[in-house]
Amino acid sequence: MPLNPSEVTSRPVYPPLSADPRAARHWLVLEAGSLDGELLAELHTAFAPVAARLQVCWVGTSAPPADWGAFTVLPDVAALGSVLAQAQPLAVNDRLCAQGTEPFVWGVAALAAQAGLATAQVQLAHAGSQRRRVWCTHCHGFTDDVTTSVVACAGCGRHLLVRDHFSRRHGAFMGVMVDAEQPGVRPAVQEVFP
Amino acid sequence: MNGSSLTLRVVSATTLSPSLRHLQLASADGAPLPPTGAGAHVLFALPGAGRSHRNAYSLVNAPGSRSHYDIIVRRVAASRGGSAAVHETLQVGDTLQAQWPANLFAPVRGARRHVMVAGGIGITPFLSYLQDAGVRQAGFELHVCCREEERAVFAPWLPADAPVFFYWDADGHRLDTAALLARQPAGTHLSVCGPSELNASVLAAAATAGWPSAQVHTEHFGSGASGGTAFEAVLHKSGVRVQVAEDESLLDAIERIGVAAPCLCRGGACGVCITPLLDGEAEHRDHFLSPAEQAQFIMPCVSRARGARLVLDL
Repeated sequence: MPLNPSEVTSRPVYPPLSADPRAARHWLVLEAGSLDGELLAELHTAFAPVAARLQVCWVGTSAPPADWGAFTVLPDVAALGSVLAQAQPLAVNDRLCAQGTEPFVWGVAALAAQAGLATAQVQLAHAGSQRRRVWCTHCHGFTDDVTTSVVACAGCGRHLLVRDHFSRRHGAFMGVMVDAEQPGVRPAVQEVFP
Repeated sequence: MNGSSLTLRVVSATTLSPSLRHLQLASADGAPLPPTGAGAHVLFALPGAGRSHRNAYSLVNAPGSRSHYDIIVRRVAASRGGSAAVHETLQVGDTLQAQWPANLFAPVRGARRHVMVAGGIGITPFLSYLQDAGVRQAGFELHVCCREEERAVFAPWLPADAPVFFYWDADGHRLDTAALLARQPAGTHLSVCGPSELNASVLAAAATAGWPSAQVHTEHFGSGASGGTAFEAVLHKSGVRVQVAEDESLLDAIERIGVAAPCLCRGGACGVCITPLLDGEAEHRDHFLSPAEQAQFIMPCVSRARGARLVLDL
């Protein structure tokens, strides 16, 4: 599902992932179930020049493609933390690339930052569902896997309008109370992030 | 206390080597000086033959000093007058005009580690880095390429425990830049200050080694880069023409005829002196303008004309 363009400047845009032949090591972190065969083939070609210094992590339960070579299969994003811990010390010229849904790739970005990688060493790209992680401006809680224009906050129950405003720190979109002016008067809920 | 110019008095002047002189300067009226951070510089008006020269020098005193500033000045062989004046004319008790300090080379606060590479007198900004609490806490190493005999000159300026390594032009003593940059921990920032050839080679090595460009910083110096062939500059708004001599910069020439032109670093780095270019082909020597901007603007502190004439919107 390609992302819709937005007028909101904080909305990230994601160029295709690319390998940097000058880099020391690459990690390519892929979300199982989000990438189709065509995209996988493109990535295979793009990262072939650095294959000797590349570790591909396949995150999720579905099986990795058979014709792709070696994968490190991880149950979830948190497990990537131990992969990076084993690779310490991370170098200034290492690179980490991630592709999948936005909640997934921004989860990877948070782990990479924790491990000490600079933002310039981390590349993110979108694939799969447009579902969003939403941050409530009222209770500061998160609501995951949001596909609709209005969602009930998992933290405080307020009905939140999901905006395009994005926080890189939270890896989440802003949600603001939709019926604050007239309680109970809410627009129809539409599935806008399939 | 705020302003744009300072009057400084020479408190002490010490010859460190045949080509290096240390000046300690205090405020002429005894007032506290504006505090500066590591990497700051001050633009001085120095007496010269027939006209005054404006040279920028890095401050080597500890960051935050209010009582005095320290600079170390290399006498440039083909001196336009500025560095020669520091070496030959200035005496203790003399006063100097200077601009307020500026800083185009501050250490990056988020850095997890600092790797510094200095070429010769390019060590000066790093002498203040080495006294900066943030740099010391993050961890650093300083690599200095200089003449073998200058090691002893710089040694007293370095903290005793500091990881400083010297290199000079002899087998077994040259800096292996590629090896230095190949394996540095993530979060390291590289800062380079030296002659343009050294800066260019270290920057190229960092790019080749895959360093993110946001983690590579450089400060250029070299007043020698301001000379070239003579040409005529037409100042459109002022309606005057000035001949720019071979040994002066376009900015020097503009100032010589009394046209006020803003400037800060006089080294093509800060962008303060940007001037719209109306006609003529420029030889751009700055480190600031993008190629697209260079089609419309010129930085007169370092850049010159390719042809016989430039028309500036000044």
